[in-house]
Amino acid sequence: MQRSTRETKPQAAAVQGEDITREDRVMKRVFLSPAVIVLLALSIFPLFWSLGISFTDILRGGSTLQREAQSSGVEASGFLGQDFNVTLRNYDRIFDDERLHIAARNTLFFVFVGVTVQYVFGLLLALVLNQEFIGRGIVRVIFLMPMMTMPVVVGYLGRMMFDSYRSPIADLYRHFVAWWEGVPLIGSELDATLPWLTNGSWARGTIVLMDSWQWIPFVTLILLAGMQAIPDDIYEAARVDGASSLQMFWRITLPLLAPLSLTVVLIRGLEIFKIIDVIVVTTGGGPGSATESLTMYIYKTALTFGNYSYAAAISFALLVLVIIFAMVFLGLGRRLVPRGLY
Amino acid sequence: MTRRPIWQTVLLYAVVLFWCFIVLFPFYWLGTTSFKRQLDAIRLPKYVPYYDFEPTTEHWDYLINVQGDVTWRHFRNSLIAASGGTGFAVLVGAMAGYGLSRFRYRWPVLNWNNDNIAFWVISQRFLPPALFVVPFLIAYTNLDLIDTHIGLIVAYTMFNIPFAVWIMRDFFNGLPADLEDSARVDGATRWTAFTRIVLPLSAPGLVSVAIFSFVFSWNEYLYALMLTNFEAITMPIFIAGQNTQRGVEWWYISALAITAVLPVVLIGLLLQRFITRGLVAGALKG
Repeated sequence: MQRSTRETKPQAAAVQGEDITREDRVMKRVFLSPAVIVLLALSIFPLFWSLGISFTDILRGGSTLQREAQSSGVEASGFLGQDFNVTLRNYDRIFDDERLHIAARNTLFFVFVGVTVQYVFGLLLALVLNQEFIGRGIVRVIFLMPMMTMPVVVGYLGRMMFDSYRSPIADLYRHFVAWWEGVPLIGSELDATLPWLTNGSWARGTIVLMDSWQWIPFVTLILLAGMQAIPDDIYEAARVDGASSLQMFWRITLPLLAPLSLTVVLIRGLEIFKIIDVIVVTTGGGPGSATESLTMYIYKTALTFGNYSYAAAISFALLVLVIIFAMVFLGLGRRLVPRGLY
Repeated sequence: MTRRPIWQTVLLYAVVLFWCFIVLFPFYWLGTTSFKRQLDAIRLPKYVPYYDFEPTTEHWDYLINVQGDVTWRHFRNSLIAASGGTGFAVLVGAMAGYGLSRFRYRWPVLNWNNDNIAFWVISQRFLPPALFVVPFLIAYTNLDLIDTHIGLIVAYTMFNIPFAVWIMRDFFNGLPADLEDSARVDGATRWTAFTRIVLPLSAPGLVSVAIFSFVFSWNEYLYALMLTNFEAITMPIFIAGQNTQRGVEWWYISALAITAVLPVVLIGLLLQRFITRGLVAGALKG
């Protein structure tokens, strides 16, 4: 099977160059246009519109100007009934909004810690699964289950598992502490609870754990496919030269997996930037705003507080973070990955 | 393969079993909780039915018989929105993927070739959806699309297209053009060749794109949250909403969660090979 990545080679020789038929000249537009139109209309246009809104004072139900007009009995006018002032106040506010800074910090925590945990454990599991063992097919199927589960349900599962009193994990911990201290479980005044979701720092970690539970299998499956694509003779040659398994891992497996690793980390990182559903059902952003993510704060600003223009402005702050993250990784990819490995 | 020492084999099975346990235990817990009496669910954890606690079907009875209409309404909303979004995305994605694989484009001004276009398309998948909250809210309010199925289908089509194009393009790249070429020599038009020859041959690719789009849309939360408020609410929003009403009723939530998760997980188990293939294609080419 042909697997070209860098260059797309249109296979029908006839459609290359000048000898393209008139029918094809029309058809090539017909094939691509629907997708491009949808993306232009529903992705690119809203993006610029949102950028425009972020420089105004539009709130839900109109702008400040429009509200004043309504209260003095004048008909609303202007674009979509929204008469507005152009202002920089939203971007001004970004710099002093304490809650926004906390949300940004939390989001970066989720992204970086989450990506690290998922990559390390995903890689270790892939190394293990790359061996031959009985029941491999079933294990693969089991691995897919968390990925298919709705994040909202993952959140509820997490709450059931990490409840400080009634969960299996709390139960296990209680038994462990009782055994450790050598006291009977019932009757002694044992205080053995962990604030999984009730303490800010703990809750951030717990949320990363839930996201990791769902996505470590994804990282594993991708890396596993990458490992299986590495030809056996490279290992064979290394073995003949007397390399240990550890050396083979550091010198062969890891470098050859580098492009794929960067892709997986990039995908996971970009996805974690969007995190909202797990947090909504577990902590609701609390305690205080200790686990609030940027997406959640943007959503609240727009729908709960009705401040459309400010929500648009902070969504662009999020976009800037996302772009920096992606650029760093794509840049790393170009530097770390030797040419011709793709 | 050289024989590995026994301790490695033991370690291997230990790790595999441990991870399977980590993955499966929460699902086991979900299942048992949906059969627990309320007191059994809110006190110290009970693990084994008939031994630790006496199972009851009252919550399932409540979900299916008492609340049947409500459950079905949200389930149906999810079904409509996800299928609609999937259908359009597969169609549009297959067309664009075919175009990008078989023709040579060069966009004026930007001077983009096929690879640039494909990269632009897939990059849309990774834009944070939070960027679209405000424009979608304003546009949907003005167009009266809030709380409608069409509104959700449009949004889901939009976010599924990039992935569909990406996967289908890769799939068509691996599909030899000879068959279409000979059909066209025999007088078939490009479009007939596409619908009669290319599409049937690419069924595996289409299935894999359809599964992914369906699962993404089925599990989607943010768009559904902002674009619906009563009539068109989907399962994720409905389930997340149980958080606040009448305290947390774990037994009812568990039953509801199983209802929502089971269809997708079943699809996943049955069509496992298409998923792995799609995942790998999506990432290897990234």
